[in-house]
Amino acid sequence: MVERAGILLRIAFRNLFRSRINLLIGAVILGGTLLVVVGGALLGSVISSMSRSIIGSVAGHIQVYSAASKEEFAIWPMGGNDPDLSPMVDWEKNQRLLEAVPNVKAVIPMGINAALITSGNTVDLTLAELRSVVREEKAHGSTPELEAQRASLKEHVRQIVRVLQSDMGRVEEINTSDALDPEARAAIGRASSDEFWAGFDRDPYGALEFLENRLAPLLSDADLVPLRYVGTDLDAFQKHFDRMEIVDGQPVPPGHRGFMMSKFVYEDRLKLRTARRLDKIKDALDLKGSIARDETLQRYVRENRTQTREILLQLDPLKTERAIALLQRTLGSSEKDLDKLLNAFFDTDDANFYQRYEVFYRDLAPLLQLYRLKVGDVLTITAFTRSGYVQSLNLKVWGTFQFRGLEKSALSGNINLMDIVSFRELYGYLSADRKAEIEAIKKEGGVQEIDRSRAEEELFGQPNRRVVAEATPGIIDEKERFKGAGAALRREELVRRVYDPTEIGRGVVLDAAVILQDPRHLQKTLADIRALSDREHLGLRVVSWREAAGLLGQFILLATVVLLLAVGIIFIVAMVIINNSVMMATLQRTPEVGTMRAIGAPRAFILWMVLVETVTLGLIFGGLGAALGAGAIALLHWWGIPAGNETLYFFFSGPRLFPTLSPWNIVVALVVVVVVTVLSTLYPAFLATRVPPVRAMQADE
Amino acid sequence: MLRLALVLVGCLSGLAWAKPLAPAEVTEVVKIIDDRQRNSGDYRSLAYLEQKEKDKTDTAREAIVYRRSADEKLMILFTKPKGEAGKGYLRLDKNLWSYDPTTGKWERRTERERIAGTDSRRADFDESRLAEEYTSTFMGEAKLGAFDTWIIESKVKPGVDVAFPVLKLWVDQATGNVLKRQEFALSGRLMRTLYYPSWKKLYSESKGADVWYPGEIRIYDEVEKANSTIVVLKSVDLRPLEANIFTKAWLESKSR
Repeated sequence: MVERAGILLRIAFRNLFRSRINLLIGAVILGGTLLVVVGGALLGSVISSMSRSIIGSVAGHIQVYSAASKEEFAIWPMGGNDPDLSPMVDWEKNQRLLEAVPNVKAVIPMGINAALITSGNTVDLTLAELRSVVREEKAHGSTPELEAQRASLKEHVRQIVRVLQSDMGRVEEINTSDALDPEARAAIGRASSDEFWAGFDRDPYGALEFLENRLAPLLSDADLVPLRYVGTDLDAFQKHFDRMEIVDGQPVPPGHRGFMMSKFVYEDRLKLRTARRLDKIKDALDLKGSIARDETLQRYVRENRTQTREILLQLDPLKTERAIALLQRTLGSSEKDLDKLLNAFFDTDDANFYQRYEVFYRDLAPLLQLYRLKVGDVLTITAFTRSGYVQSLNLKVWGTFQFRGLEKSALSGNINLMDIVSFRELYGYLSADRKAEIEAIKKEGGVQEIDRSRAEEELFGQPNRRVVAEATPGIIDEKERFKGAGAALRREELVRRVYDPTEIGRGVVLDAAVILQDPRHLQKTLADIRALSDREHLGLRVVSWREAAGLLGQFILLATVVLLLAVGIIFIVAMVIINNSVMMATLQRTPEVGTMRAIGAPRAFILWMVLVETVTLGLIFGGLGAALGAGAIALLHWWGIPAGNETLYFFFSGPRLFPTLSPWNIVVALVVVVVVTVLSTLYPAFLATRVPPVRAMQADE
Repeated sequence: MLRLALVLVGCLSGLAWAKPLAPAEVTEVVKIIDDRQRNSGDYRSLAYLEQKEKDKTDTAREAIVYRRSADEKLMILFTKPKGEAGKGYLRLDKNLWSYDPTTGKWERRTERERIAGTDSRRADFDESRLAEEYTSTFMGEAKLGAFDTWIIESKVKPGVDVAFPVLKLWVDQATGNVLKRQEFALSGRLMRTLYYPSWKKLYSESKGADVWYPGEIRIYDEVEKANSTIVVLKSVDLRPLEANIFTKAWLESKSR
């Protein structure tokens, strides 16, 4: 047996390079194996990186949520809208039981929601600041600081009026003066007069009402910023999601209410647009990009040159003078118009960009408010609550954070953090007390419900129905109906209030992340938690991070299917090529096979001879392909594949992907190669066994 | 003027006047609708709002609506439930401001603002300004239940900011009151249908005539079909208001 195998191998090696057809088959096998090894290793590395991003940023290893939920939980939902989850009301008990499950390291309560934060236009924001200073002075008396603040804000508003006046002048140059709104012209005229400002302090509220209602509507640079946030136990979150790191400010102190802004959102949505565009150009140039070659960068340059209002509106007269002097110096210009100077300054190209970038951040930025919101400021978040009422909350922004390795990822970077007590308020779970209060109001309202489809018939169907009635004068005493909710005091109290840590457990939770001690036992722990939920009637739905990832989980599945499909197609083609090639090789060797048969070789020997030859070919060239693939992966691992855009940042779990090769990638590739070569050789081998010895003799003749 | 007089007589006597309207008569009918609701002095009403939304519990609110015809000012101050008390809207010089005492902030809103998240809009609580804001044309006659109505289409005038640029009104031929109103987006899409099943009138000293107001408005959202709002004006008080009531400072002071 061994002797026979030795003979078969000797024949196989002897024939290995004798035929060009064998080289063709070898090349196909080599290419296929290379692809399976490299593709498998890359996919495996991307999945592994993504899983680190998903688990380490917000999902944890397992997510639990209420089984009564109408929709499935997804951190990155398919349609973009957060799923409608039923709250887990008795969370304290759930947490206690879940933490007792073997292999569970921590359970972190959560809830995801989204809101739009609105900021008025620049005049609105400045006037709101001025109003709060005036209010403070009226309530507690003026101080030198407040007086200085008031004077500075007034100067700022006057500067804005000057910008508006200059805008109007330009419009008048283009249009006839009749085209301008006379009310707008009158408002600007009054707001720019010395008399108006001389009288400001006599009646500040009257002056503010005029500026807010007549002047501010003339400026339309208001913004709506979408904010997606996770309400959670912030201490536990930071402790167990170890990828989280604070960039600016500080973490929310234990027991305090507060908001942690994602650094990505902070930079992308709240930064001065000009500065953000400069950052983007710099990032691109750092990656060997070029303004001259890149249309997007050219657009950024164009926008920086033309959209200078944002800067002009921020500067008071003193700062405007300083900015003009600075730009004149930098540009070597004698131009006095700041708008024109800014236009020239932002006319950047590949040669001058880095110098202008440095000047902007070193000299110009200190004169500007680079971010619409500063760390330490109070952010107002408005959300539609579960109970249907609109709820707003003031939350201090304690700092910004990022997930290590995912700094530039838009996907993980879009998630902000908030303490769970504030989250619950914005979520607005309808407690029994509130339900009773609403029922009482409804009862007092005394409205009869009418089916919509029958509304016309019900309301107007009766003949001779009178729609007009005489009313008796009602005395409405607002003091009686509304005794002052004391909301202002409540607002101040809420910002200062420190909550008891046990409060985190009391109240509703929408979902929770489970962190495991050993992630290798994920499946077992999943089963254990499901069993616990059934046993204790917790009514929980338990999903792995991959299911919880929603859209990204689907992506992993899709990528795997695409790779398998590609490998399948490649090997089907390979099978056809190998099959044809072996057929041709077999036909070429008819005399040899016939002779062997004539000198007594049994059919089984011929079959094995052909099979061993192709398997040897497969193993040698497959091995070569695998070695080349391993080399390519080693090279890519050493070099790192750069994440060219923000989405790839998330998939690569950082700025570069460093792919690794698992032994399984090679084993799977070789097994596939052997199976494919054996399958594609079976038929030609069978044909070879059918060659009669007489054919060999005829061929010799 | 003769037709107008006839309309008024018809309204007063409750007699039906069933003839198609000429363009000038349409203008007169619309003016009457506006004039009736206008008070030359101050106005305050106690309103009840009930909102129904798909998959949500009904919400109920109580608010006091303040108006001053002279300078077209409006304020809505919510009084119930407790969580809503002190919130409000203030309309000054075509600016609509929203105030929330829990944050202490004023925010500029547009005419399309859903008042307190319901299907109502600012104009539902304000005086009718059809003649000032829209150009109206007669579209035909129709039966609305047992009522004979004129159908009038109103299109917004250039440069006027309203929540909906096109309206269709079903005006009761007998009394001259709007019974049904449909509001459309510029694309022609139907956005809201409103029914006015009851109108009330109250003698105003300052006007020297009756001030009319809808006793009840049923608003149906035509985009989110399951959503609807009912507004009930429970009582109206025409006594003069404080001079400085339509200011941000006044509304802020209510929450202290």
